Amino acid sequence: MPAARDSRPGWLGGLRSALLPSLDALQAEIDDRLSKIPTRLNQYGFDRFGMCPETMRTQLISSVLAYRHYFRVESFGIENIPTGGVLLIANHAGQLPFDGAMLGTCVLMEADPPRVVRAMGEYWIPQLPFVSVAAERGGNQVGTPENCTALLEAGECVMVFPEGVRGMNKLYRDRYQLQRFGLGFMRLALACDVPIVPVGIVGSEEQQPGIANLKSVANLFGMPALPITLGFPWLGPLGLLPLPVRYRIHFGEPLRFEGEADDEDAVIQEKVDRVRGEIEALLRRGRELRKGIFT
Amino acid sequence: MEKVLITGISGGQGRLLTRRLLSNFEVCGVDWVPWEGHPRDVNVHVVDVRKKKFEDVIRTEMPSAVVHMGFIRHFRGDAKRRHDVNVRGTKQLLDHCANYGVQRLVVLSSGYVYGAFPENPFYMDEDHPLSASRSYPEIRDLVEVDTLASAFIWKYPHIRTTVLRPVNVLGETVHSMIGQYLRLDRCPTMMGFDPLMQFVHEEDVADAIARTLEQGLQGVFNVTGPGQVPLSVAIRETGGRALSVPDFVARPVLERLFQLGLWPYPSGAFDYLKFPVTLSGKRFIEATGYRPLFGLEEIFQSIHR
Repeated sequence: MPAARDSRPGWLGGLRSALLPSLDALQAEIDDRLSKIPTRLNQYGFDRFGMCPETMRTQLISSVLAYRHYFRVESFGIENIPTGGVLLIANHAGQLPFDGAMLGTCVLMEADPPRVVRAMGEYWIPQLPFVSVAAERGGNQVGTPENCTALLEAGECVMVFPEGVRGMNKLYRDRYQLQRFGLGFMRLALACDVPIVPVGIVGSEEQQPGIANLKSVANLFGMPALPITLGFPWLGPLGLLPLPVRYRIHFGEPLRFEGEADDEDAVIQEKVDRVRGEIEALLRRGRELRKGIFT
Repeated sequence: MEKVLITGISGGQGRLLTRRLLSNFEVCGVDWVPWEGHPRDVNVHVVDVRKKKFEDVIRTEMPSAVVHMGFIRHFRGDAKRRHDVNVRGTKQLLDHCANYGVQRLVVLSSGYVYGAFPENPFYMDEDHPLSASRSYPEIRDLVEVDTLASAFIWKYPHIRTTVLRPVNVLGETVHSMIGQYLRLDRCPTMMGFDPLMQFVHEEDVADAIARTLEQGLQGVFNVTGPGQVPLSVAIRETGGRALSVPDFVARPVLERLFQLGLWPYPSGAFDYLKFPVTLSGKRFIEATGYRPLFGLEEIFQSIHR
């Protein structure tokens, strides 16, 4: 009797054949979005700042999966992003910058036309092997005023978190309380004459509840912060994983400011406070609208 | 016809510039080494710019313009001599220019003087500080030359002096550090780093110098080419293969090989393979109408192994 040939794939094969077509479709969707960005690329596929869609396309799969299936992001008012140079100013939270990744993914996958959001990174990022290259190919630069100006003048969409680490590493009890805003972004907006779109990100503030921030230990090792959270360091690397909170990203209407870029701090501060107020309002509305943190 | 004196005339860039200038200028030059088969109407004097004989050349030739590009840019010889030739040689030349009625002076510096640092912004302009000596002390003489020449602009405002800082120069004729690197069988790269690099063709550099002379420009200018690519793309497009080595392995090993004379670059040069040094050429383009004629493809094709 001939042996019966098992035509059923194993569970691994089954998983693969179930996933692959949808991953292929997802890749095709990402490629389509990337092909529509307004950024000019040279004959080798790079823009003036080393951004490279060919390198980004595969890296984006995990971001889009996290966007759709882990954080299940909802966006509101994305049509508020104008074409041309623009600053996205958002609240920063959650110990690790998933908020930046989700905001970037949101604008690439849902805005019309798709834009690659340019993040302004920390000064030490270019010293890290691999990370520096990945960041640059993904469209991110060191946050020097020169770089930001160059990007805005090139008509790019630049994302800035004016709270910086003050916001990102704040404690759970301080969630949704905006920390002190830096003033630099406003000077750049005035100098480049670009609009500011305030962004309220609801969800990131609960993703990694911070219990304490050991600043003195962090200083000892030259780190920006050493947060102790619900999961870290107790669960090791696993503790770095954020909780599966649901993200809601609210884009406010573009704000235009007039004045001198090199005006006194007090004058700039007033304008910054207006942006801060808008973000606070977006966060308040966003929290009222949601039914729960995870749903 | 105006007479131009070129230092380093026998080098690749000197020869190219001579050919570019011959239709509009009378050309003469000095160098350490003779130029075999130089054009008949070009006087080539084999002298050391630090010596009295060089002063004699200026006195007898009486050029109205000088292009200074006779520098030692490699590290093969004695470091003290290199420093002396580059810095004291430039000082002597500047004095002669002031004393013998030279009206125009072009000094060919380079974009390396800004230095390669992680905090470098993209597309630095000419006002950016020259910090190369901080991480790459072996080229501090070239930074000093640039500074001497820039100061000369203010000391002698009636002499139209220009300092040009071109980005990485490639071509069939010039012997640039980056050209030598890209011609290696295996190009060592710093693992995990891939900085953007700008390139310009040697003919376009010659054109930039010629325009500077013809238009009597004054000031300090970056000279850029058609664009920029990551280092890995430049290696691929010139037909090379990268040898990716972690920094902590490459530096000690190659520094030792450099001391033994088996490797041409000191370890400070590696920072240029890690961090970007990209320049804004806007000022020069606006002042002269310069447009690079050679595209990136042609530039990469000019590198033969």
